[in-house]
Amino acid sequence: MTFATSKFRAFLPAATFAMAAEFLMGLSDSVICGHVLGETGLSAVNLMQGVFEIVTFVGMMVTVGSCVHFSTELGALHLRRARGFFTLGFFASIAFGIAFAAALAVLRHPVLSAFGASREVTELASSYWVWFLPAAALEPLAFFLGTLAYADGDARLSLASYCVQLVGNCLVSVPLTICFGAAGCAVGTGIGSFLAIVVLLLHFRRRGCMLGFSRHFSVFSDLMLVFRTSLGDASKNVGKAALIFALNAYVIAHFGSEMLPVLAVVVMTIGISEVFDGVANAAQPLASVYIGERNSFLTKRVMRAALRMALGEGAAAMLVLLAYPNLILMMAGVSDPAVVPAALFAVRIASIALPGLALVLLFNSYYVFIGRETLATLLTLAAVLVVPAALFPAMGSAWGARGVWAALGLAPLVSLAVFAVYEMVRWGFRIFPFLLQGGRDAALRVFDLELDPASICLASAGVEKHLLQKGIDAARASKAALLVEEALMVVRDRNGGRRTLAEVTVDLNDGLTIVLRDDGEIFDITDADASISSLRSYLVSNLMTALPNRRNLTTTGFNRNVFKL
Amino acid sequence: METKTISEGDKLTISVSGRVDTVTAPELEANLKFGDAKLVVIDLKEVPYMSSAGLRLLLTSHKAMAAKGGRFEIVNVQSAVREVLEITGFSDILNIV
Repeated sequence: MTFATSKFRAFLPAATFAMAAEFLMGLSDSVICGHVLGETGLSAVNLMQGVFEIVTFVGMMVTVGSCVHFSTELGALHLRRARGFFTLGFFASIAFGIAFAAALAVLRHPVLSAFGASREVTELASSYWVWFLPAAALEPLAFFLGTLAYADGDARLSLASYCVQLVGNCLVSVPLTICFGAAGCAVGTGIGSFLAIVVLLLHFRRRGCMLGFSRHFSVFSDLMLVFRTSLGDASKNVGKAALIFALNAYVIAHFGSEMLPVLAVVVMTIGISEVFDGVANAAQPLASVYIGERNSFLTKRVMRAALRMALGEGAAAMLVLLAYPNLILMMAGVSDPAVVPAALFAVRIASIALPGLALVLLFNSYYVFIGRETLATLLTLAAVLVVPAALFPAMGSAWGARGVWAALGLAPLVSLAVFAVYEMVRWGFRIFPFLLQGGRDAALRVFDLELDPASICLASAGVEKHLLQKGIDAARASKAALLVEEALMVVRDRNGGRRTLAEVTVDLNDGLTIVLRDDGEIFDITDADASISSLRSYLVSNLMTALPNRRNLTTTGFNRNVFKL
Repeated sequence: METKTISEGDKLTISVSGRVDTVTAPELEANLKFGDAKLVVIDLKEVPYMSSAGLRLLLTSHKAMAAKGGRFEIVNVQSAVREVLEITGFSDILNIV
């Protein structure tokens, strides 16, 4: 296993669990209302699903771009600029949260009356909406802090915050819903968001925390940059919100309010795809750093691992739901015998969307990482809005409600096929699907190793041989080899018997640059004034003095040292 | 890494070839047997690379010979190895000819 794939896999459980927790949080109010208030409560919260998506959209519009630019600037070793993006995102998420909550307060009546749902459902949705406003104001900040703490390598705290938010929400919401109905459920959601923010503030006490405030940003131009970067990823939530609004209106108009519980389980089934965003989130911190270094070789390595994982997760979820569709019905609290057969079919057919959605979400995030925001936006909007919105009325007319659910199942696959053809025609098969030209790859060489004396010496000799083959003079090649051996041996000694993975990148694109990464104890090996405890550390210290062009930057929780020779 | 030893009276010449790094240094150390030699010459003509593990051997050998009143010399040092000796200040301690 290489350093890159190991870091990706290390991030994956936390990222996937975080997304699962986020999915469950979105689901929790439906589940609680469904079980406590019955199918009417489920239908009422389902009317709010569009609003939930827009809340997520607001948070993502600030968070995704800030996170990508924070990581990329860190990758380029621009710490103050990276912190500028953090500062901008922090204050923007507060401002936009408050502004959005104010807008929701105004929009309640026009939106709910537009659905034309039964009076009972509308009244429940209305009371939920009013008490949901504090949660709408707090959620963007909670999402921002959770994502940035995660990108800064604090996956555990990020995960803990999601758990606190989910558990806090459930513990408070259940009794409040029993006492106060849907309004109590919404209050619980707000309390969960508040608790998550409190937990996430602990990240600033962490050793090696790179988040911090800096004036190195421009309010207008950087905000526009953040929005442009975020739009590709966030557009899926706007697309989903629009689709859910349209589906609610279409289903009520053509099949009546009694079909809303079936639509609710379909929305839940497709909503599982949110969990697959954990794959992209696991790849993002590392991929962004490699992109910041303009290292397409390692970027592709991480993304290939992510691609395999996304497909695996999507296929596994689909198979589980094809075999056990009643899991979704149990979660939603759907037990009405008149609804169950239609709901079981709906879950099965909608689950076909999951592998396709896993890929759409991964490539959506990836295209944002590499600066192809427009492509990301178009792909996502096609898969979550345009194609399903084009298919479901047509298939609904032909096959009734079953046709609607089938359209939702097929839409992501159709969208992926269309975009695959488009990308191959436009950019060529050679660079499909990652769309990286790889022009710098020829001058890049990566050595992966687990730190032990034999592999370190092998890497050192490999670096020297490679440089000599590339026409670098013997003195520089030898110095590079010496740096690799001595620095990595110091890292190994520092970590005792602990298994430590490292990655050595030799980059000849702009002079000779050596990048050393390891997942061991965080420390600054470039510090020429570090304490000397052995002949080796003495040599490293003197080497650092002899190499004035060197940088150390803890990046997403691992050591990264960059040397220009 | 290979060594070749030639003994001429009180003089012992050890020619080293190959990289001297963390892995190969113990092998070299096993071959650094000076016996009763009064002058030990280490020929580094075929050593393109030496890390701190090699430097440690040179230093301990130098000290061992000095302790018994002998002399330890290093000859034919390649530029890359010479730079390491200079970076560490060992060039001022060892007898480099």
